[in-house]
Amino acid sequence: MTDRFSRQSFLGEESEALFRATRAGIAGLGGGGSHIAQQLAHVGVGGFVLFDPDFSDFPNLNRTVGATFADAASKLPKVLVAERMIRGINPYSVVWPIQAEWQTDFPALRACDVVFGCIDGFGGRAQLEESCRRAMIPLIDIGMDVHEGEPYSISGQVVVSMPGRPCFKCVGFIREKDLDDEGRRYGEAGGNPQVIWPNGVLASTAVALFVQLIVPWCRIHPGSAFIGYDGDAFTLEHDGRLAVAEKQECGHFGAIGDLGDPLWEPETRTRE
Amino acid sequence: MNIHFKLTAALLDEISTDLRRPHPFAAERAAFIGCKASACRGGILVLAHTYIPLRDDCYADDPRFGCAFNADAMRAAMQFALTNDASMFHVHLHEHSGPPWFSRPDLRESRRFIPDFWNVKPGLPHGTLVLSADAAAGLCWYARREKPIRIAQITVVGFPMQYLGRSR
Repeated sequence: MTDRFSRQSFLGEESEALFRATRAGIAGLGGGGSHIAQQLAHVGVGGFVLFDPDFSDFPNLNRTVGATFADAASKLPKVLVAERMIRGINPYSVVWPIQAEWQTDFPALRACDVVFGCIDGFGGRAQLEESCRRAMIPLIDIGMDVHEGEPYSISGQVVVSMPGRPCFKCVGFIREKDLDDEGRRYGEAGGNPQVIWPNGVLASTAVALFVQLIVPWCRIHPGSAFIGYDGDAFTLEHDGRLAVAEKQECGHFGAIGDLGDPLWEPETRTRE
Repeated sequence: MNIHFKLTAALLDEISTDLRRPHPFAAERAAFIGCKASACRGGILVLAHTYIPLRDDCYADDPRFGCAFNADAMRAAMQFALTNDASMFHVHLHEHSGPPWFSRPDLRESRRFIPDFWNVKPGLPHGTLVLSADAAAGLCWYARREKPIRIAQITVVGFPMQYLGRSR
């Protein structure tokens, strides 16, 4: 282990090499994804696939880690902000910045060992989970909301969807009703309130779950997770629905047809 | 081209447990794994799904090999490939620690029977894996090339993730 990572040597002799060998995908480089990118670079992750079609702008300077006033003024793509930040911390990392929605480059997504979902909406999450399951990729999803009311309220969650284990629907994180409601609201304008500190809590929790997955320092949880965040009480708590779901087989993914790319046309050249 | 083979920890456990069962006369067991595949940047992902053990009566009593199987075993594997549009990977186990590799008879026989899967599923990648107590290696035949491609990465997806073979 090099001196650079000596303060995290409790993660094991091989941890540096294992992090370097890992390629992490991040879908969404806003308030949550930018935090995650920064922490993964510090931890020593060697490969990054960054998806986000958006540009830096003044309204997202309140929460996008790594973005500067000049980036907002010049409308620098968020993936390039993240790439600069990652390379500044770890110049040896390999970064694929893809300034587009993740659905535009499935081959890049499939090349990831672990994916972080930092996107809005239930429909997008359901799609990302299906694509990750098809490529047998653990997905760590984070999300937060500021709920309007008297007074305002902050909540969020971190959910790990592990191939072969309960999925978002199994644990009740995504319900058909949510997808239907979202479909009906499609096209409604307006940006939800977003702030940096809940994203930081959720991103740090997601990175801790990732580290546990690659080089576990303890055996407290078995890989899956459904953790709720109460931003008003400043607490993180395991959601009991996961324990119930763990006792049953996932009925949503599991058939052989749920794996791979059904539209893939393999190369069929003739014998040499 | 990189070939990345993935399987879940639960499937690896099922495979390792079954391959360690003694056989009435064969020195070692073998099996097939039904897989799906897709393109990924820089290569191909092979995703293991179904373990298909060889029935005891599918082994041939041939003292030249630790394990030899008859045509029934091959027919069952080919039927699985046809029915499920699957890539097929032969698998066996060497009982030692550290990176395993194929014996010369393993390589000779694999070159003979693996390309036969193209008769039912042309174009799909098919191959062979060898496991040890803590590592794995594999070869993959793809796009009707005569020579197999060494599998670059074998990942066990579970808690924790395990990179059994990696050349990234």
